[in-house]
Amino acid sequence: MWRPSRVERSTAVFVGLIVLSLMLITVDLRASGAGLGGILRDGVQAAFTPVQKAAAFVTRPVVGFFEGISDMVGLRDENRRLRLQVADLERRLAETESLQRRVEELEAILAVEPPGELDAVVARVLATGPSDFEGIRLIDKGRRQGITVDMPVIDEGGLVGRVVAVTATTARLRLITHPTMRVAVRVERTGETGILTGRGGGPMQLEMFNTNAALVQGDLLVTADGRFPAGIPVARVAEAARAEVGFSLRTTATPEAELSRVDYVKVLVFTSDRGGSSEEEGEEPIEPPRETTTTTGSGPGTTLTP
Amino acid sequence: MKWRRTAVAVALVILGVALQTTLFVRLRPFGATPALALLVALAVSRHLGQVPSLAVGFCTGLLLDLLSETALGLWSLVLTCVAYATVRLRRRFEDDATLLIPGVFLISLVALAQYALLGTIFGEQTLADAQVVRKMLLPAVYNTVLSPLVLPLATRLLGERGGGRRGIGR
Repeated sequence: MWRPSRVERSTAVFVGLIVLSLMLITVDLRASGAGLGGILRDGVQAAFTPVQKAAAFVTRPVVGFFEGISDMVGLRDENRRLRLQVADLERRLAETESLQRRVEELEAILAVEPPGELDAVVARVLATGPSDFEGIRLIDKGRRQGITVDMPVIDEGGLVGRVVAVTATTARLRLITHPTMRVAVRVERTGETGILTGRGGGPMQLEMFNTNAALVQGDLLVTADGRFPAGIPVARVAEAARAEVGFSLRTTATPEAELSRVDYVKVLVFTSDRGGSSEEEGEEPIEPPRETTTTTGSGPGTTLTP
Repeated sequence: MKWRRTAVAVALVILGVALQTTLFVRLRPFGATPALALLVALAVSRHLGQVPSLAVGFCTGLLLDLLSETALGLWSLVLTCVAYATVRLRRRFEDDATLLIPGVFLISLVALAQYALLGTIFGEQTLADAQVVRKMLLPAVYNTVLSPLVLPLATRLLGERGGGRRGIGR
């Protein structure tokens, strides 16, 4: 049954909400995410964190089970041989493998040595952004642990992203693969520098400053960006490249960090304008991180000091 | 009764957003995840009155905006459109149930395309994403697959007739 007057009312409300949304977008963009929008974000994130923690607690075993299943698909050949012997134990094995891999990941990340003698905060990824487009991860450590905006985040492979927002107990980081992220890098083999640009999913785009130095597949790219400590592995060149007509040298590079399955990360207590010290213009000094590890020395003998 | 339905709708939205942001941290089949919050907003909009449906869509979007780093209002705009499309189409869905599943797919796909376009306009460079088509198509497919679970749940909790035909005119 057609009811024009009521449809018009809902249409009017719809138009009103669209206008309100556009106003919100305009105000938030003009405030650059600070102001009322920033306060609201902090408040809602703080209020929603317990809900997310509870949901993560409930869903982790389910995710672990499915992860185990997906791992088995990748190890089909080996599993075929094992299936003859341990067919009845497959499901339990999948769960155990998943758990063991997480433990190994945590052990590995505890052993990762940050460049220099930077403090680092180990955190666990608690939640993701609302869609695949944002490239956002929420970690379970925040301002209380000494984390501030712009700090680099690494895992056992290399650079994961950068902290973009912090509440008292959580922090949001943006993955290096997001299209708005650009990282200056240096080719470890040649010392040449370039810019890595995120392209959402998949390999990142690498553009070199010096077009004469060819890139070889597998070349390791490390940070050479004032915003990050130098020397952190970022990506590996996916395809060899030479300059075409001498104008540009572009290729793709695959991130070293396992971004699609990142679980534990390390936030380096470092910002570009202070190089790891606690002085920051216009802001109060940061409290010494409580749950941090400081690495001294290098190699297998690295000691972790709580 | 009205308050109960409102409370259930709010609980469903919170549950949807919580699962959306936590369940798929590491579980990302083919590099994409379902747009569960969008699906919940759609499911709830089938059963509430027109204006409450729009309000639910807007508030769900606002919650997503506040939990992300995109411009505040981006998801609100998209999910308000989802709620409006659902409100306008739900009678057809009721008359011909076979339209519901393709409808979920189309609404999800158009909403994600709208988000990608608006994200680019407002500085998120969403369309610069090398996997932008995959990130629109796969969540729409996942939503379609999940809709036989989510839609009946919303119908059961919000009431089929009470919130359905009678709710349409509100």
